[in-house]
Amino acid sequence: MSELITRHRPLFWLTRREVLRVSKLWTQTIAAPVIASFLFILVFGLSLGGRIKRIDGYSYDVFIVPGLITMAMVQAAYSNNASSVFQARFDRYLHDVLAAPMRNWEVNLGLSLGGAVRALAIGVSLFGLSLVVVDVPIAQPGVLVLAVVLALLLFSALGVVVGIYAETFDHHTFVNNIIILPLTFLGGVFYSVSRLPSPWQEISRANPIFYLVSAVRYGFLGTADAPIGLALGVTAVLALAAVGWSSWLFRTGRRLKA
Amino acid sequence: MSALALNGLTKRYDDGLLALCDFELEIPEGSFFGLLGPNGAGKTTLISAVCNLIRITAGDIRVFGHPHHSIEARRLIGLAEQDVNLDRFLDVEETLVYHGGYYGLSRRTARQRAREMMDVFDLHGKARTRAPKLSGGMRRRLLLARALMHEPRLVILDEPTAGVDFELRMELWRYIRRLHSSGTTILLTTHYLEEAEELCEEIALIRGGELVARDTAEALRDAYDATSLTDVYLKAMAG
Repeated sequence: MSELITRHRPLFWLTRREVLRVSKLWTQTIAAPVIASFLFILVFGLSLGGRIKRIDGYSYDVFIVPGLITMAMVQAAYSNNASSVFQARFDRYLHDVLAAPMRNWEVNLGLSLGGAVRALAIGVSLFGLSLVVVDVPIAQPGVLVLAVVLALLLFSALGVVVGIYAETFDHHTFVNNIIILPLTFLGGVFYSVSRLPSPWQEISRANPIFYLVSAVRYGFLGTADAPIGLALGVTAVLALAAVGWSSWLFRTGRRLKA
Repeated sequence: MSALALNGLTKRYDDGLLALCDFELEIPEGSFFGLLGPNGAGKTTLISAVCNLIRITAGDIRVFGHPHHSIEARRLIGLAEQDVNLDRFLDVEETLVYHGGYYGLSRRTARQRAREMMDVFDLHGKARTRAPKLSGGMRRRLLLARALMHEPRLVILDEPTAGVDFELRMELWRYIRRLHSSGTTILLTTHYLEEAEELCEEIALIRGGELVARDTAEALRDAYDATSLTDVYLKAMAG
């Protein structure tokens, strides 16, 4: 065991550095997204919830919590890693890491874990805070853990990839604001896709984030718009593709090394 | 044993620029070796290739006999780059400790070594200051301290005294000489010819990605029938 720790010590330190970055900026990285998402619960759930019929047997304020937690977590995992990797490239501090005696997968994993830790901190905090105002169950803990792990793999890796490709800071915010955020909003965070009329329902089912939101919602509420096997399957395929892409970049040095 | 051996090293960048062409170089262990050449000669490309910061097109690089991309080779190299590339989120002590961690030092060893480095480079007063708030001279010291944190056997210094004042240059020379006297192999690139002449036992002149000449400063002066290293440089670069 101690030999294993010694062997992978550089990975531990790189991960620690990424987590330190998150903790040093905790007001931006943790508090702000938790407060923003909690306000969604208060504004949409509590003020409008009484006017909306129950969805899948749950009141509206309970129904939206899993989607909001998903949205906050995936955005955090993505934007943390995209900005951290881009900054490391921009400041060229990444050279210190690339020159170090670390395996390619260790560098990839170390840079990815910061976003995952930040996302988990946000998810747990938001869930705890939401319990103050709504009673959200965890109906399927195993599914919830699996769905969250897949979501973090997908968006942590995607953040690293975008951080490697980005030429300016605007590029990573563009991906977040123009792709991830709209797809998340349209993925059934605030409504049940099954209640949409055709063709919007079919269009929504072509949105990959819909399956992720469904998987997490199933973990919390035990019910979701998509069959759980399909929801986890689609998310797993996307996660594998994103991890494969980031692994290829680190293995070949493309975009990282001239 | 060679500290560094480059065989047929070629680097062509994606835009087609041939920065190094079939480059051969061997640097003996324990030597103080200078690399001189104008901007664009290929000095930084060579260093980046050795330190795994670029993808080489062809050739072989060995560091104390190990392939340059191996974990063993990486552990043996310490690099202070020409550009200041410090982590903006870390203070001085953290910069050193985390670098030690990246090179496999335990937390205890890294902290102890960081304290030693801060003593040597007179950085104690700035231990809690983040890199962006350091003066230019302090950043240079920190770069050098970071490169030496893991006690590398081959230290690569890319223009370590560029843009620093005379006092700090003399101070850095003292550190570098002390380092060399303890048996560390040093590869230095510099634009200051007097720096190369003052410090280096052997000097290589490089132009357009090719090795033009290599010898001691005295032998180079004789070979080029020159009175100073500046004359040698001017004649060699004129082709």
